[in-house]
Amino acid sequence: MKHKIIFSLALAGLLVTSCQRSRLSPNPTTSISNASAFSTPDRVLNQVRSLYSAMRSGQFYGGRFVIYNDIRADEFINELTNGVTGLELWNETQNNNNAQVLGLWSQAYYTINLCNVFLDGMASTGSAVVGTALSNNYIAEARFVRAMCYYSLLQLYARPYWDGNGAKLGLPIRLTGNTGSGDYSLARSTVAETYAQVLDDLNFAETNLPLTYGVAATNTIRAHRNTAIAIKSRVYLSMQKYPEVITEANKIVNATAPFSAATGVNHSLQADITNVFKTPYTTTESILSMPFNANETPGTQNQLGYYFSKSAGNGEYSLNTAGIVADAGWVATDKRRTFNATVSGKLYLDKKYGAGNPYTDYVPVIRYAEVLLNLAEARTRSTNTVDPQAVALLNAVRNRSDATTTFTVGSFATATDLINAILKERRIEFLGEGLRSPDLLRLGLSIPGKATISAVAPTATNYIWPISATELLLNKLCVDN
Amino acid sequence: MHMRKLLLTLTAFLLFAGSLLAQKTITGKVTDEKGNPIPNASVLVKGTTTGTSTKADGTFSLTVPSNAKALIVSAIDMTTQEKALGSHTSLDFSLSQEDKTISEVVVVGYGTQKKKDVTGNVATVKGAAVSNKPVQSFEQALGGRAAGVQVTIPNGVLNNPPVIRIRGTNSISLSSYPLIVVDGVPTFTGDASGTSAAGNALASINPNDIESIDIAKDAAASAIYGSRAANGVVFITTKKGKAGRARVSYDSWVGWTTATRLPEVLNSAQYTSYKNEALVNAGTYNATSNAFYQTPGPDGNPIDTRWYDYIYRQGFSHSNNINVSGANDATSYYFSFGYTSQEGMIRKNDFKRANVLANVDHKATKYLSFGGKLSFSNEQNLAAVSSGSLPGEAFATAGIGRAAVLLSPNVAPYNNDGSYNFNTANGLIGVMGNKVSQVGFYNPVPSLDMNRQYSENNHLQGNVYIQLKPVNWITLRTSYGIDYLLTDNETFADGRTGEGFVANSFGGSAASTYSKNKRWVWTNTIQFDKTFGKHSFSLLGGNEQQKSDNVGFGVGRTIVSDPFYTNLQGGFTGAPTTAGLGIGENYLLSGFGRLQYNYSSKYFLSGNIRRDGASQLGENYKYGTFWGVSAGWEVAKENFWTAASLDKIFSSFKLRGSYGKVGNISGLGNFGTLSTYSAGVYGTGATLSFSNAGNPNLTWETSKKTDIGLNFGILKDKVTFEVTWYKNNIDGLILAVQQPPSAGLPNSINTNVGSMYNKGLEFAINATPVNKKDFSWTTSFNISHNKNNVTQLAPGLTQIITTSPAGAATSESVSITKPGYPLGMIFVTRTAGVDPATGRRIFINAAGQQVFFDFSAPAAQRYKYADGSIAPAVGLQDAQIYKQSSPDNYGGFENTLRYKGFELNTLFTFQTGFYVYFGSYAGMRDQRFWNNSVDVLRRWQKPGDVTDMPRPVFGDNISNGSSFPLDVNVFKGDFLKLRTATLSYNIPKSLLDKAKFNSARLYVSGTNLAVITKYPGPDPEVSSNGNGTTNQGVDRNQVGNGRTITVGLNIGL
Repeated sequence: MKHKIIFSLALAGLLVTSCQRSRLSPNPTTSISNASAFSTPDRVLNQVRSLYSAMRSGQFYGGRFVIYNDIRADEFINELTNGVTGLELWNETQNNNNAQVLGLWSQAYYTINLCNVFLDGMASTGSAVVGTALSNNYIAEARFVRAMCYYSLLQLYARPYWDGNGAKLGLPIRLTGNTGSGDYSLARSTVAETYAQVLDDLNFAETNLPLTYGVAATNTIRAHRNTAIAIKSRVYLSMQKYPEVITEANKIVNATAPFSAATGVNHSLQADITNVFKTPYTTTESILSMPFNANETPGTQNQLGYYFSKSAGNGEYSLNTAGIVADAGWVATDKRRTFNATVSGKLYLDKKYGAGNPYTDYVPVIRYAEVLLNLAEARTRSTNTVDPQAVALLNAVRNRSDATTTFTVGSFATATDLINAILKERRIEFLGEGLRSPDLLRLGLSIPGKATISAVAPTATNYIWPISATELLLNKLCVDN
Repeated sequence: MHMRKLLLTLTAFLLFAGSLLAQKTITGKVTDEKGNPIPNASVLVKGTTTGTSTKADGTFSLTVPSNAKALIVSAIDMTTQEKALGSHTSLDFSLSQEDKTISEVVVVGYGTQKKKDVTGNVATVKGAAVSNKPVQSFEQALGGRAAGVQVTIPNGVLNNPPVIRIRGTNSISLSSYPLIVVDGVPTFTGDASGTSAAGNALASINPNDIESIDIAKDAAASAIYGSRAANGVVFITTKKGKAGRARVSYDSWVGWTTATRLPEVLNSAQYTSYKNEALVNAGTYNATSNAFYQTPGPDGNPIDTRWYDYIYRQGFSHSNNINVSGANDATSYYFSFGYTSQEGMIRKNDFKRANVLANVDHKATKYLSFGGKLSFSNEQNLAAVSSGSLPGEAFATAGIGRAAVLLSPNVAPYNNDGSYNFNTANGLIGVMGNKVSQVGFYNPVPSLDMNRQYSENNHLQGNVYIQLKPVNWITLRTSYGIDYLLTDNETFADGRTGEGFVANSFGGSAASTYSKNKRWVWTNTIQFDKTFGKHSFSLLGGNEQQKSDNVGFGVGRTIVSDPFYTNLQGGFTGAPTTAGLGIGENYLLSGFGRLQYNYSSKYFLSGNIRRDGASQLGENYKYGTFWGVSAGWEVAKENFWTAASLDKIFSSFKLRGSYGKVGNISGLGNFGTLSTYSAGVYGTGATLSFSNAGNPNLTWETSKKTDIGLNFGILKDKVTFEVTWYKNNIDGLILAVQQPPSAGLPNSINTNVGSMYNKGLEFAINATPVNKKDFSWTTSFNISHNKNNVTQLAPGLTQIITTSPAGAATSESVSITKPGYPLGMIFVTRTAGVDPATGRRIFINAAGQQVFFDFSAPAAQRYKYADGSIAPAVGLQDAQIYKQSSPDNYGGFENTLRYKGFELNTLFTFQTGFYVYFGSYAGMRDQRFWNNSVDVLRRWQKPGDVTDMPRPVFGDNISNGSSFPLDVNVFKGDFLKLRTATLSYNIPKSLLDKAKFNSARLYVSGTNLAVITKYPGPDPEVSSNGNGTTNQGVDRNQVGNGRTITVGLNIGL
């Protein structure tokens, strides 16, 4: 009896011990292992959405990237002198350690890595799970998002393309997924090489993206073929490659007004611009926007409305009354003036992003109006004439908001006059949409002064941003601007 | 008396039922060596449970069965004696005093060892040292009791977990808190509360139930706990029944707690004129639109509010414990019940605990015994609002420690009509007659009246074991223990003012969360004890599994439908949100062994080994082996020693040394080594994104510990000394190693990269200089010296700047960890006083240049060099490594003087060689609306004034250190505290006998009675960052420790 007890005990102890080794490798129940992240079509699709979601981060295209490109230019005045909401960007004193300089760099590269991890996973297992057709669509979407990231970074952290024809320092180009510790030292490629990578991704995207998702909401928040084309028109414009801009834009702009995209998603201007900036935010004018709703918000101090709206937000920045709002050609009855309002004695871009807390305004990435103006500018510059179609394109944008002003070929003495009119139209049309700083930089124009802040010449160090201090510390091959 | 009889009867029934076939009666008397009677001695018939206990005069009378062979008599602190019955009808026993030094045992993990034989470094603190104290948990009373053990109580909030450091801080990113093993089961530690009421998990152990606390400090003593031993192991042993009839003891105390050393702040008149002067200096004073005014109160006199009176109180506490214990040959038992209700010195900060404990051991046959323990405790931790004192809270807007100092004295908590004074537009305190927009944050009085921060712990700890001894030198044992800590949190904030305020609505917020921590531990051991001649061996082998699970969930709601609703279940208009979600598990699978050997009690050797597999570690490094070896030499037993007559000086002289390798995984996340994807939403569609880059190679932090010690006694061990040198080399410190941001990884990856060491000296002396019948004096003193040095961080990680509070939205960078320095150096911007000519603060920038600062100048011209040229703004970037935050030396000094029935016990504790960043002081001279220390009255006023307080300029939060930390707020923390003093009176036996008591003791005791320090804050021993490793030595808006006076009695039946 006695021995039986002893043996039973000893045996039980051994058995239990040997049975429980699997407990040493428990699986979490609230996150999915990397081993099975590509195991079902749903998981693969969910990962595709996550790429856009990363791009939509409040640190990036969901808010701050757009804001930075406006406030570092001349249309806005800082009201609250808060470093967290971009004071140093506004007064052109950004340094390597600025939270903004660090944060945008990190979030864009985080998004790039997600794309790369996704592309690697598709190559190894995901493509087989979803089949070739869907796989190509998804890969195209990932490469589209990656292109958006590199292009966006180029606008702030590298000299414009015209400077040395792309020979200046661009970005570290990473094309494979990183999932663990390692030596990640990597030097910066040139601006031209980085643009080449952006275009390579966009060309693949154009070929492999679906023509349409068949649902307006999806067409607005995920890339389809025309999205890639529209972005290419922007990219070539940044490179001053005007014939290429024309080629791309012509794919989705018919020859005569009313302009629209003949194939794919039927993009066209809305009759009333204010419809583009209100719910449901999914008109065919919005080629790509970052969606928000009550459960998906940009996060504290990242919201466009928080910065620009006084009545619905925090009024961080008022409109520079010496800026484009002072332009006499922008008539008082222009529908686009209804976005502006004087609150507490100051003029704000109060209504463009007026949804207020919890800040559910969609953030525009690219609108059809931009493609039209890209085309207009490119035609004028490449022909160096007062191009009639360029005038028609300019009118399309102007007339829908201001029926009282119609330009004719005779309105412009020279091609330069027409270009200036197009550039002015861009300032009016895209106020608060993050295009002002890239437009100045791509043309090598000084960033005009504002209030007490002096202008920044194209030769100045602070014409572009410095590289993230953390990157310089940890990536010894990376050099500063 | 009835109770005692009832208990005796019950016990009799339990123990003796069914075996009373009496044959003859034996009488006798039990005395000590001097012939004094010993009452309550146990008299047992050998081999049975039949027995009795002696009366007050030492006599007994016992009816024994005819087959009884012998009687065994035992009594507490006396040697046990056995006498054959033969044909005697009367037997007297004379018991001698037990030699404690021979029988004293220490807990060494999976067993005990005689203290004399221990070669590892174990410090033992008796339960009596922590019982009957006005504390919530035993560790609060542990400070100063043992060399090498530093205990800090971070603030005066009830039941906040003390910080325990054994031989310094031994980790950077993981916990440096020791492993706490309660009756063989590693328990949960830290603050279990999810609210602003602290809820120390260890408060579930009633200090009065503790028999002993054994603290394993070196590798030899702790290696049996392998991967968890690097920070030391604290073994808590609860009380068990002792031989003898049932004993009942009752302990009760009442106490009063008050705040001490509160900083003196400006009164209403001083505040008003001082702030106006600052407005004038700023050039913004305007008598009608920008000025401070005193407001008449209900009595017509100007309001002069001493906010301390509304926030602090005299807290009343009481505690009652009763226990019953006893044992005979076969069974021992200990049952206890305790209830304590304590009020803190902060209003509404209360602690209530009810707990029961049962310990039963039974020897069924010669070879089979079993037993178990069951402890249940319910603790209610109550508060109204944040104290601003718990980790993470330092800058809480509602933080009441800061509010007491910061609020303007020229406004009152109530309007003259008796309603609460607050601004309905922003929820802040109303400005009354002041012509400025703000004079404080929230009005704490309505918050204290209406808000709740409750946390309730239900803690179940238990174990059962079966032990077999097939032969007398083999012991097999299996034990299964559980530890369930279940926590309910409930908070409510009224919405009209304070934390729950929401503009244009009733506001209000409520949240309830639940968290469940469950653990089981199954241990199987086999032990062989055998002596061959002079060779004694003890060999232990075992395996153990420990599984821990945690689950948390909860819900929050905002904006009540009607101010009537004051709980989560009421009416709310806001959408509910989730709160406190969490789920996790971890598992530890271990095998271990120990060999102890001694030759003739002269040479000692021991070795411990443990192999652990831990689920939290990387797939490639789940297992590790840890070990410790030690040796000891009792030189005093050598012939040469005697021959040299050294024995005449040294009654004992033991050399010992140990070396070993142990690990640390404490605080490591459950799944952090895995690469995982997590869910999100994009445009209402589900997402899945790569969210954690794991490290399959992550393993424990490794501590290699050396310990060399000398223990010796003189004058027949009346005075014993203990000197120890130690060094702990820590490698593979886990740091979250950042990768270049362009690598795009979602997180910094935990990697074993850093290294540091702690080394030091410990010295302890215990003495009984006088031990007479009527007078005795025992004294003990210990001092520990520790030096910490970080030798390596990660590639690319040259320094770690830690904020206070770490990770909080509002914080300040005041601590730095850098190779070549001790952990957590204070990191501040240097200053060079105040310019006598202009009253400007003089900063010293990173380049070493003096920069004069004038807040009243236009923004671009505030910073100037001595020559008047514009200087760049000084800030965090100019901070320098300044002072050490960890003490060089710490220790305790205890004395017990007894004269007849009176006894006076005092304990002093001290720390020296460290500095504290007194961040609160930055606030106390902040030139915004904040009230100030009276020290600002010596401000600069005219050229030639030599002072340390700059010319006040309203709005200036830079000169004083509010904007970025300054050296002027760093002070030497050295202190000597009279931690406790207790005067007690033992009621003489002659009186007790009449009342049929065994013992009765009355006492009056004080805690934190006095402190000698140059530190200007309330308490140099506080910490804003709790158990944080790299940000100690910060006193930012803390509530200091209070002073408590207790009166109590202990009665033994």
